[in-house]
Amino acid sequence: MKFLPYILRNVMRNKLRAIFTGMSIAVSLFLVTVLYAYINVQDETGEKTKQFARIVVTAKQGLTFPVPIAHVDKVRALSGVEAAVPLSWFGGKYQDEKIPFGQFATDPEQINTVLSEYDVKPAELAAFKADRGGCLVGSRAAEQRNWKVGDNIVLKGDIYPVTLELTINGIFTSESSTDQLESLWFHFTYLDELLKKDRSRQAGNAGTIFVKAASPDNLGDLMDRINETFKHTDAPVRAVTEQAFRQMFTEMLGNVQAYIRNVALAVVISLMLVAGNAMAMSMRERTREVAVLKAIGFTRFIVLSLVLVEAILIAMIGGAVGVLGAKLLFAMRDIVFRGIPGISGFYVPWSTVIFGMALAAMIGLFSGIVPAWRAAQVSVVDGLRKVV
Amino acid sequence: MPDPARPAVVELRGVSKEYMRDKTPVPVLKDTDLDIPQGDFVAVMGPSGSGKSTLLNLVAGLDRATTGTVTVAGQELGELSESKLTRWRSHHLGFIFQLYNLMPVLTAFENVELPLLLTSLSRRERAEHVRTALKIVGLQERHDHFPRQLSGGQEQRVAIARALVNDPVLLLADEPTGNLDSTAAQEIMDLLQQLNEEFDKTIVMVTHDPRAARRARRMLHLEKGTFVETEVDALEARR
Repeated sequence: MKFLPYILRNVMRNKLRAIFTGMSIAVSLFLVTVLYAYINVQDETGEKTKQFARIVVTAKQGLTFPVPIAHVDKVRALSGVEAAVPLSWFGGKYQDEKIPFGQFATDPEQINTVLSEYDVKPAELAAFKADRGGCLVGSRAAEQRNWKVGDNIVLKGDIYPVTLELTINGIFTSESSTDQLESLWFHFTYLDELLKKDRSRQAGNAGTIFVKAASPDNLGDLMDRINETFKHTDAPVRAVTEQAFRQMFTEMLGNVQAYIRNVALAVVISLMLVAGNAMAMSMRERTREVAVLKAIGFTRFIVLSLVLVEAILIAMIGGAVGVLGAKLLFAMRDIVFRGIPGISGFYVPWSTVIFGMALAAMIGLFSGIVPAWRAAQVSVVDGLRKVV
Repeated sequence: MPDPARPAVVELRGVSKEYMRDKTPVPVLKDTDLDIPQGDFVAVMGPSGSGKSTLLNLVAGLDRATTGTVTVAGQELGELSESKLTRWRSHHLGFIFQLYNLMPVLTAFENVELPLLLTSLSRRERAEHVRTALKIVGLQERHDHFPRQLSGGQEQRVAIARALVNDPVLLLADEPTGNLDSTAAQEIMDLLQQLNEEFDKTIVMVTHDPRAARRARRMLHLEKGTFVETEVDALEARR
């Protein structure tokens, strides 16, 4: 600790270089933190879904293939099933928004039983059930678009060749800020009628079926029975836990986690080189000072430690700016990213913050090893002769 | 002449030093014997390349003799490993350099405190030592100034305070006035003389400056690695 003031002074010795080095670490670790937060949020959300004991049923061929709506009642009839609803991604355009938010055609009677983590006022839920052209919207979706109960909205279909004219019956909320509050639920029957009227081949099909099991135990058995039920039909299915479904959904984009880890590794290596170069330059300029330190009694070990701690400090300061910056930015996501869809459920977990800071310390350590070693080896006689 | 009643702080016996240049050994110091007793103030003079700095480096334990033994404060330096020698220096030696060699990022106070960071002294004890050292060199008012805010003479006085703060048995000064104007040089020599006479500090000073050398008790002349004259009692000469 008694060496800390000296180390801190050396950190800020060349302010411009320290700021540039720190900022390069900050910006890069900001990106790495956000990418890793994505993985961690996926994992944490997946873990969280376990408590809801939900199963997702998709077509056996894959998510892009339809599941007949008749399957829903057959699933409901199985023992161990508390509720089941179709959940079809509509993906319609609202006004000038370029990226569609989550709009799902579902069954109003059981949706709040299946997705029980969302709170809806009983009167609003009743109004939704009674209104074929009604919908419930997530609080964040409503807030971002200034919607209130009673508003009429139009969603122009993109995947489906129909336009929905909906009335907002209520707004659902959730205790967890990470839940999908940027969504909208409307009647599956309304969509299906429009599709039938349009003679669309998409009529009569649900995208997925979300099943709420009566108990979190024996999910495996229930999934087997669901698969078995439709095994010899024209539309066999694949039942998986919600956790596995989320993972599968992510993996449709490719092995995202591997991409992220490879990108992060490349960033870390390049950062080590950048920070190492800055540190080496700094130490070259200080050869004479190192020689003086050694002359007055600073051992190789102390010199080595001083340089290493300095390198780690620079990286940790930069890392703190980047990593905590990411944490703060996404903690304020509703203000900072207002109106940008897809961000609402995103956050930077503390586990990612700790990981980011550990990464910063590691970058500092590795970037400092060579300059520290060279400083420790400086000959006092040669170092004192050196005029910088 | 050395006072035989006083113990020798520095003893060189048959010390030679050779450097290798293009695989050819170049002798710098040749079979040198030297005794410097406690409380002595020795000025080592000689032309460039005569071996003055090499002699100083050997006494400081910054370099190793090719042959012979260097004993300082009763410790034969050749017996110590690199790290032990470094630790030994921090307790027994004080260095004064031509270019002052203060840490530019530290204040005068912090520069003087630097050697004390290697001790087990508390923060308060360190501060007391630093204040005393700065008072001796007359810079207690400038304790919070950075080297860039000080004149050359003041920087050298801070460097002397840093050399003193550990209360070393031997002060080694390498051209301490070499970078100063004559007034500042005189002040520094006054200070070194005061340290020798009032505080009984043993000082070995390498210098080109005859005026500075005359302030020492003894002058030694080196030429081509050998003492060419026996000791001149500078104090007597000065008187």
